[in-house]
Amino acid sequence: MLCALAAIPILIAVAVRVSSAVPPGRGPAFLDRIAQNGLFVGVTAMVVSVPLFLPLTVGVVAGDTIAGEAGQGTLRYLLVAPAGRTRLLIIKYAGAAVFVVVAPLVVALTGAGIGAALFPVGPVTLLSGDTIGTGEAMIRLLLIAAYLAVSLLGLSAIGLFISTLTDVPVGAMAATVVLSVVAQVLDALPQLEWLHPWLFSHYWLDFGDLLRQPVSWDSFAANALLQGGYVAVFGALAYGRFITKDVLS
Amino acid sequence: MTPKWLRWLPAVAVPAVIAAGALAGSLPASAGDPLPPKTPEQVLQLIAQHSEPALSGTLEQSSELGLPELPKTGAGSDASGTAWLELLTGPHTARIYRDGPDNARIQVMDRLAERNAIRHGNDVWFYNSKDNTAAHAQLPADDAGDPGRHSAGSDITATPDQLAAMLLAKIEPGTDVAVGADVQVAGRAAYNLVLTPKSDATLVGSIAVAVDGQTGLPLGVEINARGQSDPAFRVAYTSLTLGAPDASVFAFTPPPGATVEEIPVKEHKHGNDAGNATAPAARDSNRKPAVTGSGWDSVVEFPAGTAGPASDATALLEQATVPVQGGRLLSTALVNVLVLDDGRVVAGSVPLERLQAAAAQK
Repeated sequence: MLCALAAIPILIAVAVRVSSAVPPGRGPAFLDRIAQNGLFVGVTAMVVSVPLFLPLTVGVVAGDTIAGEAGQGTLRYLLVAPAGRTRLLIIKYAGAAVFVVVAPLVVALTGAGIGAALFPVGPVTLLSGDTIGTGEAMIRLLLIAAYLAVSLLGLSAIGLFISTLTDVPVGAMAATVVLSVVAQVLDALPQLEWLHPWLFSHYWLDFGDLLRQPVSWDSFAANALLQGGYVAVFGALAYGRFITKDVLS
Repeated sequence: MTPKWLRWLPAVAVPAVIAAGALAGSLPASAGDPLPPKTPEQVLQLIAQHSEPALSGTLEQSSELGLPELPKTGAGSDASGTAWLELLTGPHTARIYRDGPDNARIQVMDRLAERNAIRHGNDVWFYNSKDNTAAHAQLPADDAGDPGRHSAGSDITATPDQLAAMLLAKIEPGTDVAVGADVQVAGRAAYNLVLTPKSDATLVGSIAVAVDGQTGLPLGVEINARGQSDPAFRVAYTSLTLGAPDASVFAFTPPPGATVEEIPVKEHKHGNDAGNATAPAARDSNRKPAVTGSGWDSVVEFPAGTAGPASDATALLEQATVPVQGGRLLSTALVNVLVLDDGRVVAGSVPLERLQAAAAQK
């Protein structure tokens, strides 16, 4: 799955390389900057993968946590060991969280790597029009990856909870991915404005705030708070469900 | 073994705690340190004498004007022609930096894009990250003060209290001026100056200006329309730091690869333009807007041909207006604009009937 994610920046870079110059303002954000600066491959790839690809892979991993073991019939053997259900749940969530951290990192670093290989690399223009050096640009890139990792923690907690509800891993995965899509659709409807700050996908695309000069940390803080809330709520729900569950398989 | 329901306790407790926290956070914070009471005139004086040229802060603007909201597609892009018009619809966040009269920067923060306006000395830069374009204008050296920016700046000779009295005398006849309960804006206690039109015919319900209790800096403006619960237009600081921002904020060089456009600035030549100026002035006299009514319910009438047939604008106008008797109406919560079939344009902060009546008088 990480390979599939890594394929996104490679595809973008190759496509821009073989095609003619992209006029500014067309296609996903930053696409026109790639030809001038390879580091933007990483940023563009993250813009492209945030709405679907990253939630998709996170949904698969998080949905598989408990339901996958149940589906294979290995869950009861895990529970025979004197480790306790709480600990198993925490370990499973930690596994999903590691993936959540690694996935955006893979996209960013592969993007920067393939961009550096195919395009010139130089000072990076920020959204504010200021330019920063390559080293600082790499830090910003890693910051964006960290932002996306935080953004996806909430979704993975939801996936964990859904995973405790069912013994069919595919069902849990699909439900998680569908939820992420539904949340983004709701976020796009202006009629539901009151709901927007409560949707876990609300701040997903606001990582652009890290590309401003000076950096605006407001959205990072708001996002971290929101995702923390989701982790707490759905972690508690998953705990309640998993502790009281009759494990038959 | 503990009862089963006890295990669900965290699942109930956590959302309850979060809901309680959210509720506590959304309650309006009462001004803990009430400001000494002041009359409207004293508050106006406070505004007039404020001199806070160095600050950095975040502004939040929202409008419910009833204009059709332009579609905002997540990571996509929209036509650059509507970029500035778009500022009137929907919410926006901007960061603002000021240091003295000659250094200012405004960053309008869009999703994955940003629009910048920077003034550094006599250089004025505009930068739009969406299409990577920059524009530059060089202000004439003698025109040091930007009259639009610092309204109550040094070049106004009237003293603050004179100015306040003058302003009050001007608005008093048609407007109730009052100081409402203190408000909290950007964590600062502020006076709330409320202007309410006495006339029933205008669309404007009230205008509230939040004035910082310490410095007299206007912190926010809220315009309420009649028959609408949400403010029609609202702009206010959400955070504010007094003191000079980092000097590097104002230094701007267009990024490599950006398209830079030079905007020519007309020099203000005082003497030799006078002869030429009379001819356009004479031509303008018969297309000067005529004003009927007074105060809040005045109606401005522009003669035919004022709204030039700019191709972009007409297409947009067609979409935004609705056909009414005698022309097309652009209706917003605060202003109605009636484009008559004969080309005249009547506008005013009044209901449609009054516009039609004003149009029929001629």
